[in-house]
Amino acid sequence: MINLENLTIQRGSRTIFSDFNSVIETGLVTIIKGENGSGKSTLLRALAGFTPLENGKIKLNKKSILSSTEEWSQKLIFIDTKNGLSTDLTIIENLKFWVAVKGWSTSEENLRKALKSVNIDKYANLFISQCSEGLKKRAALARLYYSFINQIDFWILDEPTNELDQQSRVLFQKLISKFLKQKGTVVIASHDLNILAKKYNIIDLTLLNKRNIT
Amino acid sequence: MRPFHSSWTYIFIAHMKRDFLTNSRSLIDLISIIGFMLLIIFLFPLGIGPDKEKLGNVSNAIIWIGLILAILPSLEKILQKDYESGWLDQIATTDVPLEIVLLSKSISYWLIVLIPTILSSPLFAILLSMELKYLPWLILSMSIGGLGISLIGLNGSALILGAKRGNILLPILIIPLMIPILIFGVGINEAVKIGESPFGNLFLLMALTLIYLVISPFISALLVRIAIGR
Amino acid sequence: MFDWLANPNRFKRITNRLEPFLIVISVILITLGLYFGLFDSPKDYQQGDAVRIMYVHVPSAWLASLLFLSLAISCVFYLAWKHPLADIISSSIAPIGAMFSLLTLITGSLWGKPMWGTWWVWDARLTSMLVLFFFYLGYILLSNAFERKIDGSKSASVLAIIGVINLPIIKFSVDWWHTLHQPSSILRFEGPSIDNQMLLPLILMITGFSVFSLYIITINVKTKLIEKKCEALLLKSNLREFV
Repeated sequence: MINLENLTIQRGSRTIFSDFNSVIETGLVTIIKGENGSGKSTLLRALAGFTPLENGKIKLNKKSILSSTEEWSQKLIFIDTKNGLSTDLTIIENLKFWVAVKGWSTSEENLRKALKSVNIDKYANLFISQCSEGLKKRAALARLYYSFINQIDFWILDEPTNELDQQSRVLFQKLISKFLKQKGTVVIASHDLNILAKKYNIIDLTLLNKRNIT
Repeated sequence: MRPFHSSWTYIFIAHMKRDFLTNSRSLIDLISIIGFMLLIIFLFPLGIGPDKEKLGNVSNAIIWIGLILAILPSLEKILQKDYESGWLDQIATTDVPLEIVLLSKSISYWLIVLIPTILSSPLFAILLSMELKYLPWLILSMSIGGLGISLIGLNGSALILGAKRGNILLPILIIPLMIPILIFGVGINEAVKIGESPFGNLFLLMALTLIYLVISPFISALLVRIAIGR
Repeated sequence: MFDWLANPNRFKRITNRLEPFLIVISVILITLGLYFGLFDSPKDYQQGDAVRIMYVHVPSAWLASLLFLSLAISCVFYLAWKHPLADIISSSIAPIGAMFSLLTLITGSLWGKPMWGTWWVWDARLTSMLVLFFFYLGYILLSNAFERKIDGSKSASVLAIIGVINLPIIKFSVDWWHTLHQPSSILRFEGPSIDNQMLLPLILMITGFSVFSLYIITINVKTKLIEKKCEALLLKSNLREFV
């Protein structure tokens, strides 16, 4: 269980969250819903441990994640719209270095399997600069495969399906189901609910903002 | 015991390999830097006159200053690309301290950009009528100074992460910090030229580099964390 | 302490009461200092009356350095406790420190002309002061180089810390450089060794400048706090129109 207690987050002089309370159940998919600018990305980045909190705590099983940010960060995979890919490297090279800096073994076999899980193994040697947006997103999502080999408990994904075609979305759903089976937790920000698991929780941020303005 | 591939050393090397790979694919950058340095050094005889003695007097200083100025445009890029692509976010979810990762970036930059540029100094020496017997000391002193320059450069790159017009500002922020390296570095070469011991300046330069080696990664990590937190 | 001080009304009350004292004390100190310095202190046997410019030059140098230290401390507070008042104080100190370093350079130049016939001398201390000026300039420019002011404040605060760490290193290297290129020994801005009659006006001037700086910084901070309040009110009223 992840508890969000009295979160106050500021971006610049704007207060995006003020005394925000919520709960994210582990082992399930939680979708963070809201229009552009409602704070979805900010919340996800806070969950990933990137954004400093003016106030409040994010707790996992009663322990604040900020007291052990390294441990917390290692257990999660974070993918947002920027993807974290280098245009000077190929798809497989990008994956290989990501795996390497995570401290995992970069065996060729696993790299290929990861690419296959999102159906891009035939594009492995394409440079990112030559890839379409859909291909780039899948190159980033290929990282998720490593959750099945190593200890990863959380996926924090910001708009993961925007660039995906229907076929890729099906593959993505399969990945999510597999992750849930091993008790993984998925937090997704999206304004597209056409996604995924049969069961999911929703955190709706649109109501929140109307309250804040008055 | 941790498996080898999760040790800090291995990950440090992985970061460097990645930097090497990305930089070797855009060799244009390195060539531009050497070209720029050539042009800067070219300007001095044009301004001072081709008198060999006059040029010989200031050749050490010109080469050092040329190096510092020529790399300024490329310094911003050390971190900017990775910041904008989201790679820094990914690094933030690994368990190696950010300080170590950034140290690897400085060392990569030193090895990939600065050392090759420094190794082209025979070319510059010839243009400035510098006697070739002073070259080994020049290359040695610049190599050591280059590490310090790279570490300070990383700080500069981190300072302007996400700034609107950061690139214009970078020289004003960075150049004052390079002054000690310049002074000690040229001091080494001038001492060699007049036959005195270069070791005073050399040890000062080495001590300075050690200080930066320790401080600079922490400052850069602080700035990168601030940048990621936006 | 900051929270207590940062309550705008309380801050205004305290500073409103302090201000008249600050300006009066500083004017008195500076006037006395100038009187003693310009009229009542001895001429230097070598430099004549021109040495009197030291009574502006040296205090300015002191203040430029002192203010930079204060700037760095304020920036550390800002980074550690994120209190907006710390940032406001930092950005109020910076221009004043920059002015004093500029004043040091200009008075140094004015001193040099009658002494050695040149408008600039590469004296070790003047050179270090030039570097300090660039640090101030860098701080001011960097804090305004970002889309959102708060980003600039954080980055510039780290720059101030970098500056404070590097300044001793740079000063040392410039002193080293100066001794390497030993010019004629007359070129020292040390001035004559200070005797008691010179000490009094110097101290008066330094204290006067300090109090004056405090006065200006206080006004700056107050102004910025008022600006912030206006912005907040504007924001609220704009939104009322939409909702």
